[in-house]
Amino acid sequence: MIVVDIKRLIPQRSPILMVDQVDDVREQTAQTSLAIRPDNYFIDEDGKLSEPGLIEHIAQSASAFAGYKALEAGASQPPIGYIGEIKKFHCSCRPSVGTVLHTTVTMGPEVAGVTILNGEVRVGDEIVASTQMKIFVKPE
Amino acid sequence: MLLEEKYFKLVRMHEEGENIIFQVELLPDCQVYQGHFPGNPICPGVCNIEMLRECVGIYLQNKVYISSIKQCRLTAIATPSICPELDIEVHLEETETGYTVSGKIQDKNTIYLEYKGNMTKKLA
Repeated sequence: MIVVDIKRLIPQRSPILMVDQVDDVREQTAQTSLAIRPDNYFIDEDGKLSEPGLIEHIAQSASAFAGYKALEAGASQPPIGYIGEIKKFHCSCRPSVGTVLHTTVTMGPEVAGVTILNGEVRVGDEIVASTQMKIFVKPE
Repeated sequence: MLLEEKYFKLVRMHEEGENIIFQVELLPDCQVYQGHFPGNPICPGVCNIEMLRECVGIYLQNKVYISSIKQCRLTAIATPSICPELDIEVHLEETETGYTVSGKIQDKNTIYLEYKGNMTKKLA
């Protein structure tokens, strides 16, 4: 587990803070986690996390990874990133309140502020959602 | 609904040829802007996707879930002051388990989102 307050890694705040912590960072991949609490902004009426909530969680996982690298490089503020494109998103199951999401994001090279990444969300051993995504990071 | 009457208000819904047009207003006081981002309210792209999903559900009078997205392009930054009123244009094709949905979110000048994917009537 990496002991850095998530608020130093991403600019999002409550009620739309969708990553609890970064658990591991390697060269091109990061592991993150999020516990689904009853007050999560994306909980549907049936107590399950909606699909756009899963997408936001993947995007913020990538953002936290970028924020971690930026912090390491000496930045004082986490960069603001926007989703530019979502491709090949699949969702087989909407996680329930009380479950913990474990997510792997794998980042491709950054070209002109745009990074292509793959994200995979697991609950236990099951992959519940996966996607490709383009993230656009706003230059400072 | 997660976002209806919080993030957006559906003003009008009508069919135009094979498409359905939803006219919506964005609600600037939505609490999501407290966190996205503090002092700098920007529509989360995923909230616009959720808004599209909810509009399709309202039209069908049945909940639908996003089982897959083939491609969704978020082509411009939206905020409740840049685009307080939006048109969501949707085309639905029925499949065995639900619908193939293509659509876009736009105002007079700008396309903010283009969407292609599948929605199902049931998702675990």
